[in-house]
Amino acid sequence: MRKSQLDYILKVRLPVTVFVVAVAYLVTFFVSRPERDGVGYMPDQPVAFSHKLHAGNMQIDCKYCHISVDKGRFATVPSTDICMNCHTIARKDRPEILKLAQFYADERPLQWKRVHRLGDFAYFNHSVHVNRGIDCKYCHGDVAKMDKIQQVQRFTMGACLECHRNPHAKMPELAGKVNKGPEFCGACHR
Amino acid sequence: MDRKYWKSVEELKFPAKSQMLKQTEFPSDIKEEFDPNKLKGLSRRKFLAISAATVAVATTACKNYRDKGAIVPYNQKPENVLPGKANYYSSTCTGCANHCGILIKTREGRPIKVDGNPDHPGNKGKICATGQAAILNLYDPERYKKSYVRRNNTLQEVGFTAVYSDLIRAVTEASSHGKEISIISKPIFSPSFAKILNEFQQKYPTTKIYTYEFLEPYAKEKAWEELYPNTPMLEVDFSKAKVILSIESNFLATEGSFIKNIREFVANRNVDNAKEFNRFYAIESDFTLTGANADYRIPLNPSQFTTFLASLINEIVTQHSGKLVNTSVPVSKLNAKFSGFNLEDFARQNGIKFSSLQSIVSDLLENQGKSAVVTGDSVPYEVHYLGFLLNEILGNTKCYRIAPKPVLPNNRVVDFVALSEKMKSGQVGLVINLDCNPVFHFSKDIDLANAFSKVSYVFTMAESQNETAEHSTHILPISHNFESWGDFYNGWGLYSLAQPVIEPLYETYQKESIILSLVDGKMIYDNYHKYLQNFWQNEIYPKSNSGVAFEQFWFSVLHDGVFKLEQIEPQPLVCNYQSLDKIAINPQETSWTLIVKKPYFIGDGRFANNPWLLELPHPITKVTWDNYLAISETEAKSLALNSGDFVEVQADGKKLEAPVFIVPGIATKTLAIEAGFGRKVTGAIGENVGFDPIALLSKENFSNGYVLTNVKIQKLNRKYQLASTVEHHSLNDTFVKDLHKSRHIIQEGTVEEYLNGKFKIHRVEEKLSIIPEIKYTGVKWAMAIDLNKCIGCGACISACNVENNVPVVGKDQVMRGREMQWIRVDTYFSGTPDNPEVSLQPMLCQHCDDAPCENVCPVVATNHSPDGLNQMVYNRCVGTRYCSNNCPYKVRRFNFYDFRDHFANGFFYQDSLRLLNNPEVTVRSRGVMEKCTFCIQRITEARQNALAEGRELKGSDVKTACQEACPADAIIFGDMHDKESEVYYWRNHKLGYFVLEELNIKPNVTYIAKLRNKKQEDKA
Repeated sequence: MRKSQLDYILKVRLPVTVFVVAVAYLVTFFVSRPERDGVGYMPDQPVAFSHKLHAGNMQIDCKYCHISVDKGRFATVPSTDICMNCHTIARKDRPEILKLAQFYADERPLQWKRVHRLGDFAYFNHSVHVNRGIDCKYCHGDVAKMDKIQQVQRFTMGACLECHRNPHAKMPELAGKVNKGPEFCGACHR
Repeated sequence: MDRKYWKSVEELKFPAKSQMLKQTEFPSDIKEEFDPNKLKGLSRRKFLAISAATVAVATTACKNYRDKGAIVPYNQKPENVLPGKANYYSSTCTGCANHCGILIKTREGRPIKVDGNPDHPGNKGKICATGQAAILNLYDPERYKKSYVRRNNTLQEVGFTAVYSDLIRAVTEASSHGKEISIISKPIFSPSFAKILNEFQQKYPTTKIYTYEFLEPYAKEKAWEELYPNTPMLEVDFSKAKVILSIESNFLATEGSFIKNIREFVANRNVDNAKEFNRFYAIESDFTLTGANADYRIPLNPSQFTTFLASLINEIVTQHSGKLVNTSVPVSKLNAKFSGFNLEDFARQNGIKFSSLQSIVSDLLENQGKSAVVTGDSVPYEVHYLGFLLNEILGNTKCYRIAPKPVLPNNRVVDFVALSEKMKSGQVGLVINLDCNPVFHFSKDIDLANAFSKVSYVFTMAESQNETAEHSTHILPISHNFESWGDFYNGWGLYSLAQPVIEPLYETYQKESIILSLVDGKMIYDNYHKYLQNFWQNEIYPKSNSGVAFEQFWFSVLHDGVFKLEQIEPQPLVCNYQSLDKIAINPQETSWTLIVKKPYFIGDGRFANNPWLLELPHPITKVTWDNYLAISETEAKSLALNSGDFVEVQADGKKLEAPVFIVPGIATKTLAIEAGFGRKVTGAIGENVGFDPIALLSKENFSNGYVLTNVKIQKLNRKYQLASTVEHHSLNDTFVKDLHKSRHIIQEGTVEEYLNGKFKIHRVEEKLSIIPEIKYTGVKWAMAIDLNKCIGCGACISACNVENNVPVVGKDQVMRGREMQWIRVDTYFSGTPDNPEVSLQPMLCQHCDDAPCENVCPVVATNHSPDGLNQMVYNRCVGTRYCSNNCPYKVRRFNFYDFRDHFANGFFYQDSLRLLNNPEVTVRSRGVMEKCTFCIQRITEARQNALAEGRELKGSDVKTACQEACPADAIIFGDMHDKESEVYYWRNHKLGYFVLEELNIKPNVTYIAKLRNKKQEDKA
């Protein structure tokens, strides 16, 4: 190999390649980050349930359907009979309600698409957060404005710790009520 | 039998090489034997590479890669079931005759944990190790799922209805031909089922019912019957006994109402009331867990028990008759009967210090009416008789209390011998085995297996395969206790209920239901439930004088699990001294003797396929996955035996080949072996586990004690690998002798030293530490273990296994020291190997403030929480094992494999066993370290509940699984900062110490030093 050619490779081609690769990596990393973390995920549900209609327009309390949110680890997706509390009478003729009623009549459980998910190694507990007065919206976004549920926050350890370390910065209404969230491993991992 | 454990001929011929292979996880000499480039066409490797690339491309291109699965809520949510919240149902354990009340914890409708029912007066919230692990039998993948018919000597899987219609035909055929219908069952404690059987008998008058218990102490019952005719047998209330003399009795582990016994025994082992300590003498040939808890233990060959008790009685009635409080004792009659026996001679002949026997005599005499003589279930008739007689002479009958008594009296062995004859002579048309295994349980000379083959219909109802099913024409699978209804009566006014907590997993019915359907003539799924309710409405509800309607009464009993009528007091005992004339008491020569004992954990063999129980270390020898012939070191030396050497034992022409295991403290010329092992027909787990000593027994043994004298022992030229977790031989080595005492791991004193203030606990001043001190505020968790109360039963280990999804590793892995149990009970022997003293010590993670494991973790996967827990974060752990290396207590456990997959070909990954796991605890995978967490999931749950109720978390809100299970209440857990708490009290108790405190790592498990109630004179 001629010396000038080697020179060219080392001085120009190599740095340029490294630069291009690095930039491409970093850009991809940050641009795709929300997507990787699931932000914006908005799957089609088996029944086109609208939180905007129920929680927004009609102002139904979250706990009416998510019965366990202040009682245990899981908020629980409502069982079909909770829907049918109203829909045996209300809006019986709408196509989506007919679909729902059919599931109920057939005793077929509804397979709701999961939108939010933490790693299996994290034991998140809804009740300890809700009972401290933390609003659902901080993790789930303003569902009262969503026709179709989508993920708006990252569900990563970093995202959890952001609030645990500075709760008042994110949730000013909790000042004086809540100290810092726990940061020790055993709070979530066991 | 050991042949099964050889993996190859290689292993047999070159054990050294295979040992090397076993020890090296990835042996270095295994190399690729081919070059993939030289292969023609598509190599496997290339094929895999292409497939992988295809999958990768397909996945990225896939539209749905963000799919997170589905959440499937109930269609109609059952009342009271909330996902994530546990429900508790009271029920009754049917693992043994004690029928302890249990609380079954279910999550989302599946049972995941069993604990005692605190409302049950018998076991008061505690159950044994076996009861804890019984839940695995429910999910056992090897349970019968279908019914079977034997045609042309092969089992054919058929539907339930086919077998059931055969059963109806068999019943009608037998009864119309006037042939006997024999129903064989374990003891029946259920009043409603007894009634069903009665109705069955009325409908089919040729029916006979035979009930029995495995290794039932028939000899004991006979002795009681002789001395107290027509009165039900009673047990000793150990809380009333100040002096206890046990003859080969294992009353703290396997015999009688042992959970109750433990509670009563430790009631007089409270260090704050040290004056009231009981004194416990154990005379035994085997080293039992009970003997390990004795203040004085004297090993004695079983053939000498009779002589010993006769000499003892003679000593009392000749030398000390004036001191006897009980005036009704016919002293002269006893004098005449026992004049041939002399305690001093006895002591000399057996090499026992006479003074130690004298102290038994004086203690018994000083505590007349407050002492107890207990004889073990295995010993011969005469020993039981003399034991009961001694209690009578000393007025100790005051210490007796009720013992559970079946609704139908159990049959005698002669009845089974007669049954066998009847079957062979063709008088029996149908045999129904109800959830029992008589072919395995009875000696071979009763010949039930052969007799069954002479009967045209043999129906066995069983949960899983057993020896009796193997000899049956039809097999009907039955529901597990947790899928069944039931009621139980202890014979003295206490009822309890069992309720199903899960729908039957397979196509099974409970046995009561099947028998009832034969009475009713129709098979309805829920028939027994309705029958039970009716029975209670008609028979028990009227007795209750309850003001509420029956429905309310029923649900309240179902909720509580127990229903107490006023306790029936046992009738006063009138001793029949005339029976003395009938009994012949002859001194025996000390010959080689074999004693068959009940097993600690596997019940009557029905738990022999339960890997949790098989892997529980034997309380004394720590042997897992096997039984063995226990032999003393001296005798082993005289026969040139080592642990693991196969011997052939011969008794009356019957033979048993089994390995010996050297156990310190076994009596001279004694072999001790536990029964229940060596099941021939069981699942893959129990296959080839242990050896069956019933092969040596004859029908005479069943009525006269499970002791065989004049046995012949012959060494065989074979070895067997026993997986024990302790080394016994180090005892002889002067270098390590009493190491535990010089390191202050075990600190022990005597009651007297303690009361005189002479017993000082060795404590170490806290030294300066290089680790920055952390100020703990708020709740800080700590544990205290009272070694005076801990008897070493192993219930804590079993409870921890269930609570924390601790995997089973299998025998081969145990041999490499890879057992995963988070808590262990260390046994330390001291003194001579012939008669050592035992110190037991539960050992678990000490959650040290300055934990040495934390400093060395390169990835900070283990660190400290602000409430004082040494946390272990599995998802951070990379498996360097540095922490385990640096842990002075050796309580960390490493997942060398994904043991759920590795053990028995993915045993724990089978569908049914996935339901077993506690969903609040991570299932650990290969390559991570784990250890005791102080049940952090329970702490978290308590914190969540406190928050929901708007109060501060208190230490008393949390009970760890081991603490909850401990029948002796030896484990105390709580907040060390709470000055009101029990754990604070014990932490600052003058008998409290930390193990290895000199390491300055500030452990948080306080041990309360054990006090032995020794007499002053033998302190030297």
